[in-house]
Amino acid sequence: MHDINREIHELLIDYAGALRDGHIPVFLKSLTREEARRIAASQEFWDATETTRVLNGVGFADKAVTSNVGLFISRVDAKVASRLKKRKASSQEKSLAAGKTSSKGQNKIGKSA
Amino acid sequence: MDRRLRNALEGLTDPDVERRRRAMEPFVRATFGIFTRYLYRYLGNEVECEDVLEDVYADIWENPDRLRNVTNEKQLLRTVYLYYMRKRLREVYRRLNRSLCLPQSYMKNLVAPELGVLETMSQSELRQALHRTLGRLKARERRAIELWMEGMSNRAIANELNTTVGAVKMLEFRTIMKLRKMLHDYCRED
Repeated sequence: MHDINREIHELLIDYAGALRDGHIPVFLKSLTREEARRIAASQEFWDATETTRVLNGVGFADKAVTSNVGLFISRVDAKVASRLKKRKASSQEKSLAAGKTSSKGQNKIGKSA
Repeated sequence: MDRRLRNALEGLTDPDVERRRRAMEPFVRATFGIFTRYLYRYLGNEVECEDVLEDVYADIWENPDRLRNVTNEKQLLRTVYLYYMRKRLREVYRRLNRSLCLPQSYMKNLVAPELGVLETMSQSELRQALHRTLGRLKARERRAIELWMEGMSNRAIANELNTTVGAVKMLEFRTIMKLRKMLHDYCRED
C-alpha cells in the first residue's frame, strides 16, 4: 500500500484489498498524482473494479448482516422522527412567515383606506 | 417478490407520513439483509454499511415515489441503488476530496459507479456464476483467488504459492481480468 509509483495491476490489487478490508479512504489517500493519472487513463482498471466488487460481495457480504435488526430499526425510526420534527418545524415557520406577510398586507390596505 | 416485501412496499407509498413511518419496520425487516449485502460490495465495512443504510431508509421514508412501480426484488435493488444509495455513498467520501490526487469525477465513479452487467445480478445468481467460472480457472489462479477470498494478505498468499508478492499481485490481476471476461460471457449465455 505504501509503495510509490505503483503499476496499474498493483493499484487494482491494492484497491481490491482496501475494499475487502474496509479501508477505501486509506487507499484513496495513498494515491500519488502520477498513480491517480494512471488510474484515470486505464480502462483495464475501471473494467476490473466491477469484478472486485462482485468478489467482495460474494465472499464477505454475509458477515455484514447483523443479527440484531431490531436495534437497527430503532435507529432508523429515530432518524425518521428527527426528520419529521424538522419537517413540522419548517412548515410551522413557513405558515408563521405567511401569516406575517398577510397581516402586513392587511395593515397596508387599512392604512391606505 | 414475496408477499411480505410486497405488503411492506404498499405501506411505504402511503401519502400519510405517520402511516409511512409505521410501514418502515416491516420494510426494513424485509430488505435489510438484501441492502446490506449489496452495499457491502462498495464499502467493505459493516459499520459504514449500517450508517449509510440508516440515511437511505430515512430518504426512502421521506420520498418513496421512486418505489411506487417496483414489481420485483431486482428492480427494487436497482431503484434503491440508483436513486437513494448512490447519493449517500458519494457523501461518505466527499470530505476526503481536498486532500486527494484523484479528481472528484473519478472518485465518484470508483465509490459509487454506474451499474454494470454483473452488479444488476442478485447475490445468489452471482454466487452461482462465480462458482462456475472459478471452476474453469487454472489451479494456481483459482487457489490465489480462493486464498484472497479467505482474507489472506498478498504476502501470505505468496508464501502459500512459493512465489513473490509482486508475482502474486500480477497473478491476481490477470485472474480478475479473466474472471471478468468469463462472468460477462456467462451472463450473455444466460
